[in-house]
Amino acid sequence: MMEPAFGPGALPGSFAAAGLGKLYRSGSAEVHALRGVDLAIAKGEMLVLLGPSGSGKSTLLNILGGLDRPTSGRLWFGDLELTGLDDAGLTRFRRAQVGFIFQFYNLIPSLTALENVRLVTDIAERPMDADDALAQVGLAARRDYYPAQLSGGEQQRVAVARAIAKQPQLLLCDEPTGALDSATGIRVLETLAQANRRLGATVVIITHNAGIAAMADRVIHFLDGRIAREIINRQPAQPAQISW
Amino acid sequence: MTALNIKLLRDLVRLRWQALAIALVLSAATATFIMSQGVHTSLMQTRDAYYARNGFADVFSGLVRAPRDAMASIAAIPGVQHTEGRIQHYATLDMPGRVEPVRALFNTIDEAGGDRLNRVTLRRGRLPRPGQPHEILVDEAFAKANGLLPGARVQALVHGRRLSLLIVGIGMAPDFVYALGLGEILPDNARFGVFWMGRKALEAATDRVEAVNSVSVRLARDASLPDVIRAIDHVLARYGGTGAYGRADHLSHAFIDNELQQLAAITRVIPPVFLIVATFLVYIVLGRMIATERSQIGLLKAFGYTDAAVGGHYLKLAMVIALLATLIGTTAGIRMGSAMTRLYAGYYHFPFLDYIVSPGLVLAATALSLATAGLGALGGVRSAVRLSPAEAMSPPRPPAYRAGSLEQLGRRLGFSAIGHMIVRHIARWPGRSAITVLGVAMAGGLLFSNLQFIDSSRTMIDGFFFRAQRQDFTVSFIEPHRRDVLFALARIPGVLRVEPARSLPVRLINGTKSERTSIESTDINSQLSLRIDSSGAAITQPERGLMLSRQLANTLGVRAGQRLQVEMLSGRRGTASLAVARIVDEYIGKRAYAGEAMLAVLARDEVPVGAALLRIDPAARDAILTRLKTMPQVLGVTEKAAALAKFEAMIDDNLLTMIIFYVGFAGAIVVGVVYNSARIIHSERAHELATLRVLGYFRSEVGLVLVGELALLVLLALPLACLIGYGLAQLMTAMFSSDLFRLPFAPDRASYGWSMLIVLLAATATAGSVARRVRNLDMVRTLKARD
Repeated sequence: MMEPAFGPGALPGSFAAAGLGKLYRSGSAEVHALRGVDLAIAKGEMLVLLGPSGSGKSTLLNILGGLDRPTSGRLWFGDLELTGLDDAGLTRFRRAQVGFIFQFYNLIPSLTALENVRLVTDIAERPMDADDALAQVGLAARRDYYPAQLSGGEQQRVAVARAIAKQPQLLLCDEPTGALDSATGIRVLETLAQANRRLGATVVIITHNAGIAAMADRVIHFLDGRIAREIINRQPAQPAQISW
Repeated sequence: MTALNIKLLRDLVRLRWQALAIALVLSAATATFIMSQGVHTSLMQTRDAYYARNGFADVFSGLVRAPRDAMASIAAIPGVQHTEGRIQHYATLDMPGRVEPVRALFNTIDEAGGDRLNRVTLRRGRLPRPGQPHEILVDEAFAKANGLLPGARVQALVHGRRLSLLIVGIGMAPDFVYALGLGEILPDNARFGVFWMGRKALEAATDRVEAVNSVSVRLARDASLPDVIRAIDHVLARYGGTGAYGRADHLSHAFIDNELQQLAAITRVIPPVFLIVATFLVYIVLGRMIATERSQIGLLKAFGYTDAAVGGHYLKLAMVIALLATLIGTTAGIRMGSAMTRLYAGYYHFPFLDYIVSPGLVLAATALSLATAGLGALGGVRSAVRLSPAEAMSPPRPPAYRAGSLEQLGRRLGFSAIGHMIVRHIARWPGRSAITVLGVAMAGGLLFSNLQFIDSSRTMIDGFFFRAQRQDFTVSFIEPHRRDVLFALARIPGVLRVEPARSLPVRLINGTKSERTSIESTDINSQLSLRIDSSGAAITQPERGLMLSRQLANTLGVRAGQRLQVEMLSGRRGTASLAVARIVDEYIGKRAYAGEAMLAVLARDEVPVGAALLRIDPAARDAILTRLKTMPQVLGVTEKAAALAKFEAMIDDNLLTMIIFYVGFAGAIVVGVVYNSARIIHSERAHELATLRVLGYFRSEVGLVLVGELALLVLLALPLACLIGYGLAQLMTAMFSSDLFRLPFAPDRASYGWSMLIVLLAATATAGSVARRVRNLDMVRTLKARD
C-alpha cells in the first residue's frame, strides 16, 4: 500500500485526488454530492466503495472514469490531470484506459455478443482479440447471440468481456452484480478478480452488497459526500468464498 | 383543468418541436387547399358575378355583314332570349414614338348605355356622346400599359381612314377578360387594346351603316345550345356567318376555364400528398410517445381511468396538432392565395378580383386536418386502449434483433459494429423506416413534379417559337389578298423572305362530334413555318388531306385514314369530305392543317393569301415596321420576339412564385419527416448513444449512429422520389393540359438533380439540428434511467 500522493501527478496507473467536490444545482436547490474528497488509489488495487444511496460513491466513480467533472478539487491519473481535460480529452482517456461495467449491462441490443465486444476492440489502442475476451468470460459459444437471447448473467459477462477487451488500466463497476442471482454474481466477480490479476488493472466496485467487500484490498465507506472510513483488507477473499 | 389535461399541455410543451414539425406538413396541405380552392372559388365567383352583371352573352357569331334588321330573325329563334348585333373591327394605331405595331379591336357601344349584352363597365370618364364621332372608350389594361387617360388622343387607321380619336373614358367588358390579339397566344396589353366607339360613328367609319358583323345572343333558361347554334348558322349563312359558338369556344372564357381547371387539379393532387405524409407522421410520433408512456398508461388505468379517457387523451394531442396546423396553414394559404390572385389580376381583367376565403372553406380545411391527424392517431390510440394495466406497468420487452438477410450482406461488406447498429435498427422497425423513406420521397417527388414545369415550358417555347415558327413577323391583312401582295412585302428593304399563310374558318364534323376551328395552310416547301411534333421532329404537310393536331383528332374521335365533313364558315360556303392524312402531336391549340393548293380548292377562290410570314434583317426592324404601318392592306403585325418575351415573362412570374411555394412545401415535408424520425431514433437510442460515449467514442462517432441511419434512409428515398416525381409530373401535366394547350412532358435531368439537392439540403440541416443533441447527451443520467 502506498501513501496518498497529494502532489501534481501520481505514479503511472494510479489515481490521486485532492479536495474533489461536486455540487449539483437544480433551481435554487443545491446538492453536495461530494464534499472535498482526498483519495489515492494505487495501480492494481481492488477497491470497494460502500455507502447508502446518495452518499457520493457513484459520483466519485463517474469522475474517476471521466464521465463527469468535479466542481472543485483536482484529480490525476498518473501524470495526466483529468480535471484539466476537455470533453475530447476525457473521451480519449476513457477510450484508452477505462473499462466500465454497469448494473444493467448497457449492451447494444442490435449487436451480437461478439459485436458488442468489437465495439471496443475497434477503437482501443492495444485490444485483445474479441473472441478471446468472450472466451475469458466463458461465452465463446454464444458469440453470435443478441442480448435479448442471453440471460442476465450472460449479458453481464458480455459487458465484462467488453470492458476487459481493451486491456484497460482501470475497471470501474457500478453495482455489477446488482441484477444477478448469487451464483451468476460470483461468476462475474471471478471474472473481475481475474482481470485484476492478469491485466494488473485497478478495479473499483460500487456495491450495496457488503459481502463483496471481502474480496477488496481496501473498502471505503461513503456518507454524505465524504469518506466516512476506510478498511484495509490484508487478506482479500476469493469470490467463491463470499457470502452473498 | 383536469390533471390529465395538464399532462396534455405539458406533453405538448415537451414535444413542441416534433408537434410543430408535424403541424408544418399538415399545414402545407391546409395552405395549398385554402390557396387553390380559395383562388378557384374567387375566380369563379368573380367571373360569374361579372358575367351576370354585365350580361356576358351565351352564343356568339361573326359574319361578313348583315343589316341590323336581320337581328329580328335571330331574336325569333326558339331559345333565344335576347340578341344584339355590333360591329367589331380591327384597326392599326399610330402611337407616337413607337415603331412596333399596335392594334385595337373597335366595338360599337350604345352611347345611351342601352347595351344589354357584353356591357362595358366604366372605370373612368364617360361614354362617347352621340354626334361626337371621334370619342372613344379604351379598355383599362391597354390604357394602363400605354399611360393613357381620358383627354388623351390616339391616331388610328380605321378601314383605310386616318382618324384622330379622343379618349373620353376607360372601361372593361366581360368578353375581354382575357384580351388576346389576333394571332397571339398571350395577351400583350401594350400592343393590343379593345376600343369602344359610338354605334353611328363606327358604322360610318367602317362603311357599315345600319349593319353589323358580330352577333351576341343570350339564351333562354331551357334553350338547347346546339339547336340555337344550328338555327343561328342557318340565319346568318346568307350574311357570311362564320359559325356560331358557345361560351366554351369563346377565347376569353376558355382561358379562364383553363385556369380554373388547373386550380382544380392542384386542389386534387397536391394536398393529398401532404395529408398522407402527415397521417404517417402522427402515426409514428404518437406510437413512440405511447410506447415511452406505457407505465403511465398502466398507472392511469390502475387508478380507474377508462380506456376511453386514456385513448381520448392521446387523440386530443393529435387534434391540438391539427388545430395548430389549421392555424398556420390557413394564414399561409390566405397569403399565398392573395399573392396568386394578384398574379391573376395581371392577366385577367375583372373590375374587381379579391381573394375571398369563405368560412366554409376554412371549416373544410379544419375538418381535413382533424381527420388526417385522427386517422394517424388511430393506431397509437388503439394500442393505448388495448394495454392492460398490469402489462403496461411492467417494463417492455427489450427489442429483439435477429440476423436477417441484410446481415449476410453486412458481414460480407465488412460492416463495423456501428454499421451493423445502423442497418439493424432500420430492419428492426421496417414500417417506420418505410414511412421516413416514403415521406422524403414524396417531398422530392412533389418538388420535382413542379420544377419540371420549367422544362415543360422551355420545351414548349423551344418547339413553338424556335422550331415551328421561324418567321420574325406575321403580317395579317384586312382581307385575303392575291399573291402580288407578297411581292410588295418582298420589296421592302431588309425583308429576307416572304411566305404566304392562310387560315380558313371551318367546322369539322365526324358523326355527332364537331369542332369549330380553322384550317391553316402554308407553302408546302415553307421554310418559315414548320409543323413540329412533340418529339421535336419536323412533319411534312401531306399534299392531300388534312393534318390534325392530336387534341383535335381526339375531340373529333378520328384516326388517320378516316374521313371528316368540312363545313366552310367563310367565303363561298359549302361542305366537303376530306381524309385525315396525318395526326401530329402539338402543344398549342386544336389545329388543322392543309396544303396551300388544297385550301384554295376548298375555298374556291383565287386569293389564297390571308397573311404573310416574314424573315427580316434585324437591323432593318424599325424601318420595316414603319413601312408596314403605312400599307393600307396591312391589318397588323405580330412580332415573334415580343410574343416570346411576353411568354417568358409570364413563365418567370408564375413559375417563380410556384417554385418558391413548392420548395417551401417540400422543405416542410422533409423537415417534418426527418426531424421526427431523428427525434424518435434519438430517443430510442439515447441509451446506446450514451453507452458508446462511455466506451470512449467521440461525439462525432456517436453522432454517426444517428445521422448514418437517417442518411441511409434519405439516400434510399432519392430514387423513389424520382419515380414518384415522374408519375406525379405526368399526372399533373395531363391534368393541366386543356383544349388551349397541351403541356409537353419533357423533364430535364437537372430538375431531378435540383429536387434531390434541395431535399438533401433540407434533410442535412434537419438531421444536423438533432445530431447536436448528441453533444448535450448526459451520459450519467441517461445510463441511470431505464426506459
